[in-house]
Amino acid sequence: METFEVFRRSGHKEPFEHCGTVSAPDAEMALLEAKECFTRRREGQHLWVVKRSDIHSFKDESLLEIAADKSYRFAEAYRDVVTKRSEARARALAFPEKSPSNT
Amino acid sequence: MTYEDKLAGFNAHIDEGGKVEASDFMPDDYRRGVLKFIEMHANSEIMGALPERECLPQAPTLLRKMSLAAKIQDEVGHAQLLYRVAEDLGKSRASMYEDLLAGKSKFHNVFHYPVHHWGDVAIIGWLIDGAALVTQAALLDSSYAPYTRVLKRICSEEQLHLRHGEHITLMLASGTEAQRDLFQDALSRWWLPIIHFFGPRSNVEKDLLLRWKVKTRTNEDLRQEFLDRYVPKVLELGFTFPSPVPVESTGHWIVQDQDIDWAPLEAVKKNRGPETSRRLAARRDVYERHRWVRDVLAAPFTYAA
Repeated sequence: METFEVFRRSGHKEPFEHCGTVSAPDAEMALLEAKECFTRRREGQHLWVVKRSDIHSFKDESLLEIAADKSYRFAEAYRDVVTKRSEARARALAFPEKSPSNT
Repeated sequence: MTYEDKLAGFNAHIDEGGKVEASDFMPDDYRRGVLKFIEMHANSEIMGALPERECLPQAPTLLRKMSLAAKIQDEVGHAQLLYRVAEDLGKSRASMYEDLLAGKSKFHNVFHYPVHHWGDVAIIGWLIDGAALVTQAALLDSSYAPYTRVLKRICSEEQLHLRHGEHITLMLASGTEAQRDLFQDALSRWWLPIIHFFGPRSNVEKDLLLRWKVKTRTNEDLRQEFLDRYVPKVLELGFTFPSPVPVESTGHWIVQDQDIDWAPLEAVKKNRGPETSRRLAARRDVYERHRWVRDVLAAPFTYAA
């Protein structure tokens, strides 16, 4: 017997998501078991089974941490656009010769 | 079942809003069309990294340099996602790359133009990424499902790039006269290419990608959404548009067809834009210098004893 990890997808727009495991002698049987276990109520329109031994992961998941301060990769770093926007609008008024109504 | 029967079934599936996976039957023209479209998108992401890379040394602060480098990395990452999706349609990544370098395939018009200064970074990050986001968001409902799944990731990163670009824009706009001039100068040079970005009016009868819902909206429709969304934002910052000047009419910001000079776009489409050869040469140079990395990865891996 082998352990199979089961992935299902609710529709073409979604990615496959892990939903559980089954134990079966081969992939065909694993698919049948997975169908009965995980899609009895149309939770998925697509189903995959993958041998657990074919799945690879980091031994040390702290490797997934971001190594240094990279806050600029996140939207929160730019939250001040709202205040900046009103500052910029006010600044624009200081340059009337450049405003489009005068050109 | 004959090819004609399969084609009729495919058309009916699409008309009902059905999606297509790489392993499904698809007409040859669908496969070719989708491949060419995604390949061009992938080419544009990787070529699009170059103009911004050229601006990196001009970053005013270390933080701006790091955030711009992170954005460039995202763009290259988008190319990787897209080339992978395109590969499943039957063309190898190597031949896509070689066709790009040989000038046999295309990349977006805006990446054929020079960058002069930090004002260009503001325009690229805000208005060009804004234009790209309008077109990409419209593709989230494309009939080719593997494309829509990677676009989800791409769009969420583009959303961040937009913030980043607007942030740079607002810093310039609220700064000194010299800083405001940087943005105005860049806007004056980029406005026409941005209008071109969406392409000429779609030929709805002839465009197979529209027929098969690979594309969901016409070029002019997307351009209109962009104009309505961004023109007021630029105007309220006190900047001026060059030709084609958008005019407000019945609740929309309109650019008249006859005001658009299409000649520069025609040149770019033939790979004769102002920076086309130099950028392709830069890409070719990187491709050659990194050949050893591809060779190492392709070779059977053995651990030293």
